[in-house]
Amino acid sequence: MNTLSAFALLLAGVIASPVGAGLALELASPHGPALIARGGGGGRMGGGGGGARMGGGGGGARVGGGGGGLGRAGGGGSLGRSGFQGSGGAGGLNRGVSRPAGGWSSGVAGGGLGGPSLNRPAARPGGVVGNPGLNRPAGAGSLNRNVNANLNRNANVNRNINRSVSVNRNWNRAVNVNAIGVRPGWARPGWGVARPWNHGWYGGWATPSWGWWGASAAAWGVGTLATAAIINSAVDAAVASNQTVIVVPNTQYQLLFGTVQPTGTSTVAFDVSANGSVYQLSADCQSGLLNGQVPGNAQEAELLNAACQVAFGTAS
Amino acid sequence: MLLRRNPLLPSDHPTGRRNRCPIPAGVIPTAGLMAGVLLAVAPASLAQQVPSAKVLYRLSTQCALQGAAPVPCTVEAVDSGGATLYRHRIGTSVETVRITAEPVTMAIWAHDARNWRPLRGASARFSTNTVCFNGKDLCVVNPNYLNSVREDRANTRLQGRDLVMVHFGSDGRVDASCYDDACALLLK
Repeated sequence: MNTLSAFALLLAGVIASPVGAGLALELASPHGPALIARGGGGGRMGGGGGGARMGGGGGGARVGGGGGGLGRAGGGGSLGRSGFQGSGGAGGLNRGVSRPAGGWSSGVAGGGLGGPSLNRPAARPGGVVGNPGLNRPAGAGSLNRNVNANLNRNANVNRNINRSVSVNRNWNRAVNVNAIGVRPGWARPGWGVARPWNHGWYGGWATPSWGWWGASAAAWGVGTLATAAIINSAVDAAVASNQTVIVVPNTQYQLLFGTVQPTGTSTVAFDVSANGSVYQLSADCQSGLLNGQVPGNAQEAELLNAACQVAFGTAS
Repeated sequence: MLLRRNPLLPSDHPTGRRNRCPIPAGVIPTAGLMAGVLLAVAPASLAQQVPSAKVLYRLSTQCALQGAAPVPCTVEAVDSGGATLYRHRIGTSVETVRITAEPVTMAIWAHDARNWRPLRGASARFSTNTVCFNGKDLCVVNPNYLNSVREDRANTRLQGRDLVMVHFGSDGRVDASCYDDACALLLK
């Protein structure tokens, strides 16, 4: 036992030494996933802690936080579970056997797919990957500003919604909106290709050109719907900032884009937040129906358009 | 339900059925010998011993070998109980990767040696839906795999991550991993 204790002390001393690279080491220990203290600054000396974190917002390496090996230690080492975590996870990869909520895809769209690549994808026109809010789609500056502001400030969203959002009386409140429902596996960077449904009525629209839109647009007094690029950019930004909603352009509806799921060859189900409640809606993208009805105003048309774009539209 | 074809094997593998070398009559193999046989000719016999093996999905996608230009390919994922097998059919060739859990290990079927060869490393880029094995020896667009990984709620390591790389030690287990920008420094 004494020998073992001495070894443990020695090992703790080694671990306490500075870590020079952003590498998450998963030691193959014969003793299993033993936890070894690693706090910011080392135990009580750490104070505010955080000494083990590298990288940061830019997506750099992080030593700690379960980032493949070294666990996190709170300030002052007050947390009991500081140190090495189990080595079972391969940096978070697993054997991929669990069926995702959206199901398995049977094919990846060939058009525009550049083939496998480990390189960071180029910024999408009108949007960026992993760097939200810096680029604005041409001609849509005000839309992009609204999306970011509303997403980041919930209080404002609620005040605005309570004042002006109209909720159609045939909308049904959603129940059981859970974490998986709003964060399916495909709702992530690369979501356009990751959407698991590879069937149904794809418009392939760079710009939506709904047959149902034209005549109504004049009556509603608006000239155009949000483009695919604007909606894609909003989803990109939401994904990059770990949000589960986008503000539908030109409305104050919040689309829970992860809930979008085709229910047929041209129909889709989705959840939307309005007036502080979540509603479960359906849409027929080909016929232009929202919950079985023709959109009553431009805001509902925008909502229909956004849900259909997320489900069936072109997205890289 | 038994599969018609051995899911553990590339379809062109000559031992896609039972070993043709029968054990001589009267010879009772020891447990160790039997285990050795199972490992050496694992594809032939294991599938028949895993009746629960089932095809998870078949995906038409794109693959790239040795960093070459992408070509159409299909991926067949098979859950064989303790491992998931990914059979990549690229033209006339087949590359099969086996991934186990707890601990996570990865191996590729070596056609020449006729056994599973542990991988040196693997990597994934979520935003391009790409998974690569052994550097860029075999890369594939497989959103199914990444969607499944992403939905592992018990695993928070990949939250907010785009690129992940892992390196396997000599024992086949992960001994290093990195995320995003740090992978430019390591695991090259």
